[in-house]
Amino acid sequence: MAFPARPPGQRLPLKLPEVTAILQGSATIVWLPVGQTSTVCGTMSGVALLPFIILLPFIGALAIWLLPARARSSASLLAGAVAVALTASCLWLYGSVADGTVLRNELTWLPQFGLNLVARMDGLSWLFATMIAGIGGLIVLYAHYYMSPKDSMPRFLAFLLAFKGAMLGIVLSGNLIQIVAFWELTSVFSFLLIGYWHHTSAARDGARMALVITGAGGFALFGGMLLLGHIVGSYDLDVVLAAGDKVRSDPLYTPTLLLILLAAFTKSAQFPFQFWLPRAMAAPTPVSAYLHSATMVKAGVFLLTVFWPVLAGTSTWFWIVTYVGLATLLLGAYSAIFQQDMKGLLAYSTVSHLGLITTLLGMNSQLALVAAVFHIVNHATFKASLFMAAGIIDHEAGTRDIRKLSGLYRYMPATATLAIVASAAMAGVPLLNGFLSKEMFFGETALRNPIPFVDVSLPAVAIVASLFAVTYSLRFVHGVFFGPPPTELDRVPHEPPALMRRPIEILVLICLLVGIIPGLTIGPFLATAVKSVLGPDMPYYSLSVWHGFNWALAMSLVALAGGVILFLLLQKYLARGIEAPPFIGHIVGPRIFERLLILLSVRWAKAAERLLGTRRLQPQLVLLVAVATLAAAIPTLGGIGLLPLPPTTFDPGLALVWVVGMTCAVGAAVQAKYHRLVALMLLGGAGLATSITFVWYSAPDLALTQLLVEVVTTILILLGLRWLPQRLETSEIDPFRRFSLHRLRDLALATIAGGGIALLSYAVMTRDAPDGIARFLLENAYTEGGGRNVVNVILVDFRAFDTFGEITVLGIVALATYALLRRFRPAADSIPRPEQQRVQSAFESQRDDHKEGTILSEFLYVPSVLMRWLFPVIVTFAAFLLLRGHDLPGGGFIAGITLAIGFILQYLAGGTRWTEERLRILPVYWIGTGLLLALVTGAASWLFGYPFLTTSFQYVDVPVLGRVPVASALLFDIGVFILVVGATVLMLIAIAHQSLRSAKRDAQPPGKTAPMIEREKA
Amino acid sequence: MQSDVTSFASLAPAYPELLMAVGAVVVLLLALFWKNVRPGVIAVVAIVLLLATLAVLVLQPASGVLFNGIVIVDGFARYMKALVLGAAAATVMISLSNSKEHGIDKFEYSVLVLLATLGMMIMVSANDLMSLYIGLELQSLALYVVAAMKREDPRAAEAGIKYFVLGALSSGMLLYGASLVYGFTGTTQLDQIVAAITLETRSIGLIFGMVFLLAGIAFKISAVPFHMWTPDVYEGAPTPVTAFFAAAPKVAAMALFIRVTTVSFGPITKDWQQIVIFLSIASMVLASFAAIGQDNLKRLLAYSSIGHVGFALVGLSAGTAVGVEGVAVYMAIYVAMTVGIFACVLALRTEDGRPVETITALAGLAQRKPFVAAIIAILMFSLIGLPPLAGFFAKWQVFLAAVEQNLFVLAVIGVLASAVSAFYYLRIIKVMYFDEPVAKFAAVPGELTAVMAGVGFLIVTYFFTVARPLTDAAHAAAGSLF
Repeated sequence: MAFPARPPGQRLPLKLPEVTAILQGSATIVWLPVGQTSTVCGTMSGVALLPFIILLPFIGALAIWLLPARARSSASLLAGAVAVALTASCLWLYGSVADGTVLRNELTWLPQFGLNLVARMDGLSWLFATMIAGIGGLIVLYAHYYMSPKDSMPRFLAFLLAFKGAMLGIVLSGNLIQIVAFWELTSVFSFLLIGYWHHTSAARDGARMALVITGAGGFALFGGMLLLGHIVGSYDLDVVLAAGDKVRSDPLYTPTLLLILLAAFTKSAQFPFQFWLPRAMAAPTPVSAYLHSATMVKAGVFLLTVFWPVLAGTSTWFWIVTYVGLATLLLGAYSAIFQQDMKGLLAYSTVSHLGLITTLLGMNSQLALVAAVFHIVNHATFKASLFMAAGIIDHEAGTRDIRKLSGLYRYMPATATLAIVASAAMAGVPLLNGFLSKEMFFGETALRNPIPFVDVSLPAVAIVASLFAVTYSLRFVHGVFFGPPPTELDRVPHEPPALMRRPIEILVLICLLVGIIPGLTIGPFLATAVKSVLGPDMPYYSLSVWHGFNWALAMSLVALAGGVILFLLLQKYLARGIEAPPFIGHIVGPRIFERLLILLSVRWAKAAERLLGTRRLQPQLVLLVAVATLAAAIPTLGGIGLLPLPPTTFDPGLALVWVVGMTCAVGAAVQAKYHRLVALMLLGGAGLATSITFVWYSAPDLALTQLLVEVVTTILILLGLRWLPQRLETSEIDPFRRFSLHRLRDLALATIAGGGIALLSYAVMTRDAPDGIARFLLENAYTEGGGRNVVNVILVDFRAFDTFGEITVLGIVALATYALLRRFRPAADSIPRPEQQRVQSAFESQRDDHKEGTILSEFLYVPSVLMRWLFPVIVTFAAFLLLRGHDLPGGGFIAGITLAIGFILQYLAGGTRWTEERLRILPVYWIGTGLLLALVTGAASWLFGYPFLTTSFQYVDVPVLGRVPVASALLFDIGVFILVVGATVLMLIAIAHQSLRSAKRDAQPPGKTAPMIEREKA
Repeated sequence: MQSDVTSFASLAPAYPELLMAVGAVVVLLLALFWKNVRPGVIAVVAIVLLLATLAVLVLQPASGVLFNGIVIVDGFARYMKALVLGAAAATVMISLSNSKEHGIDKFEYSVLVLLATLGMMIMVSANDLMSLYIGLELQSLALYVVAAMKREDPRAAEAGIKYFVLGALSSGMLLYGASLVYGFTGTTQLDQIVAAITLETRSIGLIFGMVFLLAGIAFKISAVPFHMWTPDVYEGAPTPVTAFFAAAPKVAAMALFIRVTTVSFGPITKDWQQIVIFLSIASMVLASFAAIGQDNLKRLLAYSSIGHVGFALVGLSAGTAVGVEGVAVYMAIYVAMTVGIFACVLALRTEDGRPVETITALAGLAQRKPFVAAIIAILMFSLIGLPPLAGFFAKWQVFLAAVEQNLFVLAVIGVLASAVSAFYYLRIIKVMYFDEPVAKFAAVPGELTAVMAGVGFLIVTYFFTVARPLTDAAHAAAGSLF
């Protein structure tokens, strides 16, 4: 439906379907200048006030926060002004909501996430907002006199105002997520308020407990609201409220309900979460009076009331809510009797009254809902006044211990009278407001129920709990105000300043007025509030003091009489100074809570860390591999199917080679911890097996490369290995005896992971290869690159640019190795000299013609002669490999490494000094030359108008050698060759030179280093 | 094969990367040949370069596929790159005033950060398993070195070596997965892999490939159970380096994760969804519990970052555009919070100049340094996810996406994990506000105050200031993937 354009200011009563229509997009949309859209319903000026009501406390809080700490009066004045403005706005808005109109002020912000800012007010939220604003104002006045000059008033009032803003935010929000936001804000600010006196440990513990419990409840609310919004399809409160049937029939109803109830129960201190509330009494009394009467704890029951049309009406709701409420009602009332602290007594009484409200809300009856709302208001008024009275007594008498207090009536009669009236309201004495709502409660519980358990338990618990309520009210009044004058006080109590008493007077007056003439005072407001929950079809109820003699009255009388009797019976017992209620005293909520926290925070956390958070590297590696293996195993076992493993022919000879290779690998792994040299050699064996495999499958090029790289790396690693510390002493070297359990575990894991990888590789490699670049290379190697050795053609022609990059990197690596090792001061060798040398030199030194160094120079004499003779052979072989590379296995890289092996052999044969004296190549120049040659060769193609690194080739008849293919790529390959030789030799020099240094360090004083590169420059 | 690079202008989408690559080399040479330049100057140059690249990225809205399909620049890549660059610039900036005591007052640090950032940009833009790997390795190699930058500190050296060994193993897994994917689909290009996968042809080999690939990336975002390195490296590495680790690389790896899953493995969403859900739940729950017992602030932040990765993955679990949008928003807020919290940690030094690294050392901070304490408190509340701070909206968006896909259990576990995580964040607040001060703290450098104030402002006013532009940008970014 479309809305006619309406002049501003005209009131437009809205019913729910219309609101829904607005939300579905058929509403008048006002474009605001900033680009936000806004839908506005109700009186224009009225709705404009709504965001103001929410924001004003926060603005006020910020302003007060900025005041200096000493600005006591101005802070109070400012806070008071805010409170007056809020109360006035609320009262003024009553006219707009009285007829059932829902005021909405919506700011479209992030509609795609359901995050629009909606300020919304109906009768119920009006009632709450007025209560929050009004009592908040009284609290400010009270706090001004209560707080000591030592306390920072601005800080306190800023927290208080911010808390008030958060509370107003909860009741005036029209969006589920907004409610969650303000909900958490109340938790945070109540934390700050309860912990305001943070120098006392009770305040700290209480604040933390309240925050943990209510904050966790807030997360539950977040979850519940997410689900609720998901069920309804909108996060707008009005849409949700109109979708009650949909929600109740949804399969997600139960989890949603549980989460929201969890939130409400934690906030409203329902069993089993009730224990945080008494602990929160460590807060300054104005905070207790505000948080635990009208605000914080009422947020939970407010939530239950608001969502009553959506969530209530099912048996799940009934059983959970009613019985949690009953349990709380009974437990709270019972515990309250045995408290010695005035505030503790009031706190347990609050718990009990909240239980009563919850019970009423749980009954799925409209009349019970009316009673619940009524009792919420009544409880707020009398409990706030009682807390304030307790605060005055604490303030003037210096203690809150009922055992120490006595006979205060004669010192402060006015305060005493007020407190007595309020206590009477708490006990449910006729002509006071507490009586009326309690009567309604009795009336509801007395209704017959077809289920026998319910039929009995409801009225029974109601009577017993009310009886307890009378008892603890009597105890409060009698213990504090009557009896002999107090003896244990350090001062003489007197009446407080008149203004400090004023808030109590106002509240008690309300108690009386509502109690005597309910229809004229609370009647219309209550009706408006209830109407907004139940809709226009309200049940009939009567607000009057006298309904004739009925069950409810009878129950009231029984409770009153029973309460008095119980008090008289217990008087002696209580006077003995008990600290905890009997029977349940040893079940202390806070202690259980602390234990749970410790369990969670110390034991479980430690266990979790121990289990999954080791700091050692090896278990971390094990875990990583194990998880990967598991991740691969799960889909296999999960039934996706097994790997496609086609059969293939297999040569037993190769299998044997592999067995050797694998044995070498396992041996290397076993020895890695004990004997690195052996492990390294075994690793070489495994590498050899790989080389042979390459040969077997007709890849001689790869085999050659692998073999040569294997040789060079083994030697280079060997050269470095002698400086690494031995991990275990030689005496411990017995790997097989020490085959402990976790080594077996590692072996198993390695076998599984390795086997899995082998299977996977097999599965991939036996598949038809994807149509990649290989075919192109094979087909065009000869025609385009002029070579039959495809690998070499790829290296020097097709992917020559890559090769160019790689040799550059190789050169840099060599230089970096040299640069890093130039200032390296090696540690002492960890590997002793060979046995022959040691034994023989010991023997030689005995001889008369002993000369230093003979042993060393003649060590391994025969092999070294052979190795020297091998040098020219190797050089020739390298040249051969280089020249044939384009057509047959070989090439620049392989040739370069071969030549480098020649140099390595000379180092092995002659020692560093001998070799370097005769070394005629200057590695740095070689590196540079090789790189330049490759570059120039590539650039030369530009001269002929081809792109960089294009090759040309032909066959040339060379004397002696015969017809050889000559491609420009050969020059490039020569560049590669030169660079590889230079780079390898440079690294070799850098590493081998260290032995000279350590030898020199042993012989000479430190400070001089061998001028190695200088000689090269010369 | 014809190159698609025909002119310099055709490289427009890659201008930011080119600028970064050339710039990093220029900065390196500059630092080498400019005698006696202070490392701080080089760091400032690096920040300028990062911001200039960010400006080019934002002002030059060219998109497209480059280099024969191995690089893609789309809305998603641009969004994530902007985050990476911003995070890198911010983390270098907060290290300016304290590089000396953390042993990173070397110009190599700035250069390595630039190179790592370049690697991250390539990761974000990778459209091929090979460019993905190259970007990842460029980033990782730079990070390995950076982790051990404070060479004389055995903790840093240990952190570096651990990170390297475990990182190499995970890279190996990733490569292995990549080759399996190639073997079973016949292509390495991400957007062509998807064409080769249909639900019918989904084979075990492909699943293996995906699992290993995701395992490799999960290591980089440090999702449980690939998280083991995170606490050790965060604790051992110099604090500014930890800040860098916690911010930029996480974003890049997360972007990679998202692109690989949504673009390449779209048809087998059900399969990777299970993996992501597992990683998500494991990360959220384990991090929440394991963080409680920590007293070292950096270790705690490590677990916190693990947890937040878990939360971000809740969004990805949905496998929808809304979910990816949620992750994009989450990462932006996460980066802001991370930069803010590390700015606070770096701002705290005892009077004799020692950095504050334990929670107990924060005792009474609220009395000594009320501003820093207030910012930390705001950040803690935001990290918990308390409304109306930014952290709440981050969680809201990812949970919303999960609920839309009927992943209720995941959402509820996430919410409960938030509640548990509140516990250790609140402990910090309790220590700061309620405990008696023991140490005196040195003055806070100006630029750190500015960063803290800026982050604090954005976190508190997020909903009213940044939410709309950010979600719009994230929406566009997510839209370019689906």
